[in-house]
Amino acid sequence: MNVLAHGIGSQHDLPLSPFYAFAGAFAALFVSFLALGLLWSASRFRGDRAGRPIPVALERLADARPTRMVARVLGLAAALFVLLHLLLGPNGPEHNPAAGSVYVLLWVGLVPASLLLGPVWRLLNPLRTLHLVVCRALGRDPAAGRPLPVHLGLWPAAAGLLAFTWLELVSPDPASSTALLLFLVLHGVVHLTGAARHGARWFDHADAFEVYSGLLARMSPLGRRPADRRLVLRSPFNGLDAVPQTPGLVATVCVVLGSTAYDGFSDAPSWITTVQTSPLGRTTAATLGLFVAVAVVATLYALCAGAARLISGQLSHPLTAFAHSLVPIALGYLVAHYFTLFVTEGPHTVMVALGTDNPAPPEPPLAPGGIATLQVAAIVIGHVLGVVAAHDRSVRLFPPARAVAGQLPLLALMVAYTIGGLTLLLA
Amino acid sequence: MNRRTARTAFRRLTVALLTAGALMGGAGACGGRATTHHRPGTSHEQAVGSVGRLLAADDGSGHRLRQVDAEGAPGLTVAVRPDSEDGWNVHLSVRNFRFTPDSVGGAALPGRGHALLLLDGHPLARLYGPWYHLPGSLVRGAGGGRTLTARLYADDHTAWAVHSTPIQTTTRLTTTPSVGTPAEPRPDRTLEIVISRGKVDPAPGRIEIKKGQRIELRVRTDHADTLHVHGYDREARLRAGRTTTVTLTADRTGLFEVETHESALLLTQLVVR
Repeated sequence: MNVLAHGIGSQHDLPLSPFYAFAGAFAALFVSFLALGLLWSASRFRGDRAGRPIPVALERLADARPTRMVARVLGLAAALFVLLHLLLGPNGPEHNPAAGSVYVLLWVGLVPASLLLGPVWRLLNPLRTLHLVVCRALGRDPAAGRPLPVHLGLWPAAAGLLAFTWLELVSPDPASSTALLLFLVLHGVVHLTGAARHGARWFDHADAFEVYSGLLARMSPLGRRPADRRLVLRSPFNGLDAVPQTPGLVATVCVVLGSTAYDGFSDAPSWITTVQTSPLGRTTAATLGLFVAVAVVATLYALCAGAARLISGQLSHPLTAFAHSLVPIALGYLVAHYFTLFVTEGPHTVMVALGTDNPAPPEPPLAPGGIATLQVAAIVIGHVLGVVAAHDRSVRLFPPARAVAGQLPLLALMVAYTIGGLTLLLA
Repeated sequence: MNRRTARTAFRRLTVALLTAGALMGGAGACGGRATTHHRPGTSHEQAVGSVGRLLAADDGSGHRLRQVDAEGAPGLTVAVRPDSEDGWNVHLSVRNFRFTPDSVGGAALPGRGHALLLLDGHPLARLYGPWYHLPGSLVRGAGGGRTLTARLYADDHTAWAVHSTPIQTTTRLTTTPSVGTPAEPRPDRTLEIVISRGKVDPAPGRIEIKKGQRIELRVRTDHADTLHVHGYDREARLRAGRTTTVTLTADRTGLFEVETHESALLLTQLVVR
């Protein structure tokens, strides 16, 4: 049993010194008010039409069957590798690369991969490939199946993300082969059943990793334009603007934000003391902590969206209308919390996978000051991107006279999230 | 795939699918307690040899003195150095004397036998060779002490003596193990932690230290356990009711957790800047 928040990794980032936190909070506040006064008054972002198409040859290469095949085979091979290591390999992340592959290379690695290349997990997802292969073998159309209920949206993905983060941050022994195997088998069974009923579109809505990767990919410069399905280079704002307003979107973003926040405060000695002396038992106490973190993030968002609706007087879907602007904030949290883990435990996992038993994890590439700067910069830049995205959306949705007032609640929310995020880094 | 790995794999899968922890029950029973017994010729009875003259006086714990002539009599000096990890290293330089562990319990032969270490006059350990590592826990377990005496004995457990006094030498245990030598500077921070009934006292907190400083952790627990300092990968066995001391130099920056393995308690976090 391990009391570490992650199942993986022996080192945490140093707590932030107050100087960095104050500097970050001040920058966030300053930019927010500047944005109110100086930003444009007519919406500029057109997610469905914006972007510069990439050369046709490159697009053909990206869309070519062999490219897709290679990606699918890679995904399947990686899944097989992890499963075999879980079944046959020794226990413990210093001897077995499986846990590191799931928690670091997949979960954290999806962030940079999706930011650079778009929704990569859609291509690599071994379950999607498996479904495709079985459908081909049976002579079925992979897309065929009963339509999904309209209100389902991304809710299954939100639930899946919560389950995965619970496994990583709360469960008694997240790095154990048994726990991981149980999760992966359940995950596979649920999604293959779903895909068998509803066709491959099930994965777009329900697979936690696909939805996670897809949301982060909205910030990628490379994306597919909804209007004509062309691969384009576009600004992250246009990508964010094209996030479909599906039910469950808010829940998904709130789970990502809330669980990352929980990861932050679960390192604090005061929280660890609470958990290890709780009469409820550790796992129950930690589970409550995770759920409360997600609930607090979601409640704050719902309150602010409600306030925005009251002020503006008209807003048909106040909850989903601004959910896209939380994606960059969540990204900032993710970078701030997982950068060190990725650059130390990522190579460590690769070394274990290549056959070195119990190698020493590499030193972080940045000095403590550098990491602190990176963390604060990630959170503040995420905040700024979120403020700009929300501003553009509000000048489109609100009547001009109320546009500035209407975005005040959201601005307050984002400042709260940002200062909250910085406070967590202090802890 | 050999049978064992196949069985492990099958078992993991079974456990994963059923989450039946009961299946994992191990074979906890082990054989009876090993009985101690003496090999032939290694009993503690006093065999009386014809070497020297057996005096009526004893060494203070029932072993009679065996007097030999001063000329050609065994002799010894002792050197004690604190060890960098734990306790002391004791070195006996003997002359006219051989360590004969094979024949202990047999008749006394001139210039042969073993040595006894005494802490403030109380027997501590028997030595069959010139080098001995004296663990700090042994000294603490004996209630501590200031002087270390090394005394020479014959195979029949009589003490070699000259002029009616045992052949022995005494030195002072001046320094505590982790202090005093240049290699082991005094720790910059010391933290005492007591674990009782699953509660950590003082409650887990953070210790801020500068990179390069030394920290000493003194942990006392009511359950046998293993102490683990993450990042530095230092492990130490914690024995029930004893204080275990771990000293380390903080040469990596970061936030590191100090925890116990069996009870999975966080004891403290080291913040190394």
